[in-house]
Amino acid sequence: MKRLMIVLSMALALGGQTVALAQARPDFSGTWRLNVGKSGPNVAGNTPNIPFPSQIAVKQTPTDISVESTSVRQQPVSAVYKLDGSKVTVQTPEGISETGEAKLDGGNLLINSRRSFSSPAGDIVVEFKEVWSLTGNVLTIQKTRTQSGESTTEKSQAVYDKL
Amino acid sequence: MRINLSFAAVSLGILLAATASVQAHHSFSATYDGNKPITLRGTVTKIGWQNPHAHIYVDVKNADGKAVTWEVESAGPTALLKAGLRKEDFVGAEIIIKGFLAKDGTPTVNASSLTLVEAKKEFLTDEKTP
Repeated sequence: MKRLMIVLSMALALGGQTVALAQARPDFSGTWRLNVGKSGPNVAGNTPNIPFPSQIAVKQTPTDISVESTSVRQQPVSAVYKLDGSKVTVQTPEGISETGEAKLDGGNLLINSRRSFSSPAGDIVVEFKEVWSLTGNVLTIQKTRTQSGESTTEKSQAVYDKL
Repeated sequence: MRINLSFAAVSLGILLAATASVQAHHSFSATYDGNKPITLRGTVTKIGWQNPHAHIYVDVKNADGKAVTWEVESAGPTALLKAGLRKEDFVGAEIIIKGFLAKDGTPTVNASSLTLVEAKKEFLTDEKTP
């Protein structure tokens, strides 16, 4: 009986570790389509506050994650982030420079990026912080945006369905 | 909730989406670059108070102190009036615009929100208005 209890305890412990590992390594791979109805206000359409891409294609490996974002009539943005948090260059439309880094944090993916471009008002630098989380076949992205020199931060959230 | 605008900056989240389906005659994505968000602060010099969009002209100083006149596409008069704003509230007012640059590189933006820094009058708003 005592031996059986020990075996059961070990099995439970191993099972718990497996669950913990599964939570620590979510897989965001797939093609994701924006669900406007379940997202926050003004994430798309004619009056976006923080526009989210209408579709995101993600490929994840143990070491990196590839993200390609597309929207109607907008130039795509793509990057292959190293999951160790090191800085990479984001592929952006002409006239825009962007760097970013990503890392897994428990069940979340954190992406921080800095975008710069010129405008008639001078050079603009904008910082984005994204938190990705998975619930089944639903991807939720919380995004904040801060422009250099501004004290306010814009926040929004979008929900994506897996295709 | 009635608030006294003389004591606080009044942030008007102009929820253009509410009027876009009725008033828009062109899409955001065709004219503006969603990859280029921008915040501007300046003084309103002129306003075009017409449908489907009001056009606000704002002088914004660059880093070198030179003023550039920006054209800001905003909600139409109906939505602005619903937010408590009249045409005469704009000219001369200091304003903060959050929006997106035009694709053609001109000093033109689509406004997702407007903030009148020192409003000239009181009006009714609610706590949900950012």
